[in-house]
Amino acid sequence: MKRRTFIRCVGCTAAAASILEPRLVPEYLRGFENACAFDFTKGLSSVEAKYYKKLEGGGIECGICPRHCRVTDLERGYCGTRENRADTYYTLIYGLPCALNIDPIEKKPLYHYYPGTKALSLATAGCNVNCKFCQNWEISQSRPEQTDNLDISPKAMIDIAEKRKVPHIAYTYSEPVIFYEYMSDIARLGHEKGVKSVMITGGYIEKEPLAELMPHLDAIKVDLKSIREDYYRDIVGGELKPVLDALIQIREAGMWLELVYLVVPTLNDTEAEFTELAGWIKTYLGPDVPLHFSRFYPQYLLKNLPPTPTKTLEKAHEICKAEGLNYVYLGNLPGHRAESTYCPGCGQVLIERRGYRIYRYELDGNRCKNCNREIPGLF
Amino acid sequence: MGKNYLSAKSKYVYNKYMSKVVVVKYINSASPESLTKVQYGQLLSAGIRSVAGAKDINAAVRGLIPDGVVGMKVNCLARKANSTPVKLVEAMTQILTDAGRDDNDIVVWERTSREMKMAGFPLNAASSGCRFMGTDANAVGYSDDIYTSGEVNSRVSSILTDVVDSNINLALLKDHSIAGLSAGLKNMYGAIHNPNKYHDNNCDPFCADVSMLEPLRSKNRLTIIDAVRVQYDGGPGFVSQYIHNYGGLIISADPVAADRIGLEILERIRKRHEMRPLREVGRQVTYLDTAAKRGLGVADMSAIALEVINVNAGGRLSAGELI
Repeated sequence: MKRRTFIRCVGCTAAAASILEPRLVPEYLRGFENACAFDFTKGLSSVEAKYYKKLEGGGIECGICPRHCRVTDLERGYCGTRENRADTYYTLIYGLPCALNIDPIEKKPLYHYYPGTKALSLATAGCNVNCKFCQNWEISQSRPEQTDNLDISPKAMIDIAEKRKVPHIAYTYSEPVIFYEYMSDIARLGHEKGVKSVMITGGYIEKEPLAELMPHLDAIKVDLKSIREDYYRDIVGGELKPVLDALIQIREAGMWLELVYLVVPTLNDTEAEFTELAGWIKTYLGPDVPLHFSRFYPQYLLKNLPPTPTKTLEKAHEICKAEGLNYVYLGNLPGHRAESTYCPGCGQVLIERRGYRIYRYELDGNRCKNCNREIPGLF
Repeated sequence: MGKNYLSAKSKYVYNKYMSKVVVVKYINSASPESLTKVQYGQLLSAGIRSVAGAKDINAAVRGLIPDGVVGMKVNCLARKANSTPVKLVEAMTQILTDAGRDDNDIVVWERTSREMKMAGFPLNAASSGCRFMGTDANAVGYSDDIYTSGEVNSRVSSILTDVVDSNINLALLKDHSIAGLSAGLKNMYGAIHNPNKYHDNNCDPFCADVSMLEPLRSKNRLTIIDAVRVQYDGGPGFVSQYIHNYGGLIISADPVAADRIGLEILERIRKRHEMRPLREVGRQVTYLDTAAKRGLGVADMSAIALEVINVNAGGRLSAGELI
């Protein structure tokens, strides 16, 4: 497009947009009766954020995640979604999801949590890390002004779930820690109405907010991206230690927990790492926490790397099983036998999966139909 | 005209003056409120002519700003209290149109239209006249491509990548709570989609790397830092007790050298107000040296040709002191 044409288009579109009030909901979201497109002329949300302190001499320090951003007036934290206005810290994305879908719970992935059910899945713009392999970087690495947002209150979100008969709400795609207040209010309201909540997170969250949130959640899936601190620093833009601490905290709270480890060729795919990973999980979380090895596809800033070879994933699976983990899965490999759940007692296929679909279900409650062994999870 | 400051023998050879910085000051330290559009025009005219080494402002503009659509990146973070003054933008627009540029080919831009509106700019994303618009205006947005330089990976405002052929960086001189200095390089954080990711380590090397991104490096032709009113502490927001009316503009085709002089002025103002140097309060400005190492410009004071020009109420020019 030539520049002049471009400028003319800008003018025409701006004029048209001002006529079309209220703004139309995108086609793919029309089914959500309560959703209406967010009107940017109203400004972003201005709900006061939780977990921050005012600093002497001005500015605030955010306490929602271990980054502890110090933010002066009119500036934002690393996530780009929280702003200091005259030393009151605001979340700018409360009620403004930029993604909303109904997904199989297996897509999260959660394999030991009500298999075969669906989750109303939502995300806002922003993230508190910057993974070079992020598959949702177009929303996670954006500020809320840069995404097409909806305007959905927590109550309206629960209404959508109820009308669609979706039993769970999943906070996913980007990083729910950064829309903590919104997630927390939906989850709280959801429990009052019998709608469950699951958080799909990188686990980069401070202890106190996590403790406050967990009673309102039903399961958490954490992306444990590596077992090496330097990987977190160089590839993720975060820290490993707080994530490990959060995992232990989640487990100690009795919350249902599953883990995903994205295997990135040449970066976190050595046998020694898989062994160390399995050892840490077994020691600190126990052998029954499901571990999903996920296949990497070239994305975002790592387009130079190839997809993870199947053999690497199978090796990871083999090592972790040999180290004593009971439930090890391979993801992003549709049709692979390691997508299915097997009884650690008798070896019987308990849940046969292909992709996100279930083809066979051999559990009676939470017990193996063949040997009656109890299988951990929520079934 | 007073002394023969602008009688350069050679003609506006752009590269030859890469490290020339001109500080143009209005005598009797003006504030943005007291300066008129005409007075801003006098400062701009004197400074741009000196940078270009041209007697005639139209020739200077032709030498510095290539033909085509011209962008002016303003800084509206602190809203009306301390943003790029509308009068400065109007004066620069006048200079461009007087030099033969069509006002249809001028785009004044920022991150968001909302910020521009709050800073007092009249929004105009229509099909004619000088445009005033944020990157969030309908049908604009950020590049589909991610541009990479050093530690920075960002999408760049489509105004810079697709709309304008060249850009004038109309920044402000401010203290910054993290970077130490907010001037020309820091202002270009407003051209990328993820500036919040790049504030660690006093913004070093990020401030340098942002301006090294290809569309910024290739299109930024002139840096004009408004130092009429300097936020010498408590920035980048507006804190009234830390305002010093310096009354000048810093102008250069070298973005690093312009910032280096800005830092010098900022530190001297801080000293005058008995404030400790930035390095002693945890805000040492190291990103300028990084920018110089990257080849973006000159950070070494001894390699910068600094000229200070005073402009009096009648528009006469004379030699001045930095502070």
